[in-house]
Amino acid sequence: MKWTCEQTELYLTDYLDGALADDLRHAFDAHVNACDRCTPLVSGVTHALSGLRALPELETPPRLVYNILDATLGPRETVTGWAAVRAWIRGVASPRFAYGSLSLAATFLMIVTASGFNWKKPRLADLAPSNIYRNTNRQAHLAYARGTKYVSDLRVVYEIQSRLRQDNELPTNNEGTVPESSPQKEPGRTDGTSPSTPRQQNRANDANPSLQVLAEELPVLSTRLCFVLSEGRTR
Amino acid sequence: MRRHSRRIFNICYRFTGNRTEAEDLSQDVFLRVYRTLGSYRSAHGGFATWMTSVTRNLLIDHYRRTKRDRITDSLDDAMPVVENKQSSARRPDEQALLGELSQQVQSALTRLSPELREAVILRDLQQLEYSEIQTVLEVPEGTVKSRINRGRIELARILQQMGVRPS
Repeated sequence: MKWTCEQTELYLTDYLDGALADDLRHAFDAHVNACDRCTPLVSGVTHALSGLRALPELETPPRLVYNILDATLGPRETVTGWAAVRAWIRGVASPRFAYGSLSLAATFLMIVTASGFNWKKPRLADLAPSNIYRNTNRQAHLAYARGTKYVSDLRVVYEIQSRLRQDNELPTNNEGTVPESSPQKEPGRTDGTSPSTPRQQNRANDANPSLQVLAEELPVLSTRLCFVLSEGRTR
Repeated sequence: MRRHSRRIFNICYRFTGNRTEAEDLSQDVFLRVYRTLGSYRSAHGGFATWMTSVTRNLLIDHYRRTKRDRITDSLDDAMPVVENKQSSARRPDEQALLGELSQQVQSALTRLSPELREAVILRDLQQLEYSEIQTVLEVPEGTVKSRINRGRIELARILQQMGVRPS
């Protein structure tokens, strides 16, 4: 098909919109690729189109809508004096505003309290940013230390419980076996106490060092642990 | 109204290239729509198309009214384009280049004749169908296609004259 530069200009929009039939499109491409005049024309129009489509959609100026409303429906009534105050209170008294204000106040109270502010003896210096930062930092470290200690205590208690449970679950057929290294097994005992069974003696020997360490680590349980230790020794 | 006001404001701005004029014209459009709302019939097409017709008529009126002012200002208008062209070498950032290209395209758009400009704006910026543009411009579809085609080619030529070339 014989194709001319005038035809390129004529069909350019259809070509760019993808509305050109296949045979015409092939002829168009063949001519544009070979023509020094049409190649820059097509690339220039494609570039212009991409520039046009990249133009951003502008936001409406804020006053435009109000100006339109004023121009069509007339200017709004301006409220002054007590009527304006009443209108303001009516707007503020909405449930949504009240809920939002309460939430904001609660959040503020929590943050100030967490920062170590003393409500009984309030000082302006406590509200200084550097003091708030220092107090918050200290409170955070204290909370972390308490948490760590609590978890550690729990771990120790569970360890003791699991160890006692293991001892209680030992099979009864081992009751008569006596370890050779046990000092309680030695004959000639003269302290007047009735010798305990070898199993009980072994348990006391194993538990004592652990309980001593526990008593040092865990002051809360020290009274009870001292009792357990003394009981172990009397056996 | 907010949806329509944004669309109308964008059409006005792209046609005039001036924010204040676009704002005033948008306001005039809504005022005229408000006054002539009784004359709207669904046979004229959708409400948005009818509003676009009102906008177009106002823009053409405004163009004719301010034609004399524009002729005297045309020499002043050419200066910022030259300055933009010179400053382009100092701004390698892609976003800045894109913003500059937008400015240049907007400047080229306002140099098109009003018939071609309105056709290009409605087709390539507002993405209207040919049938809708035909309703707005009140010309046959063949004329619409021809104006869009000539408008695009003319825009590419103006951009080339401004030194904006495809990379």
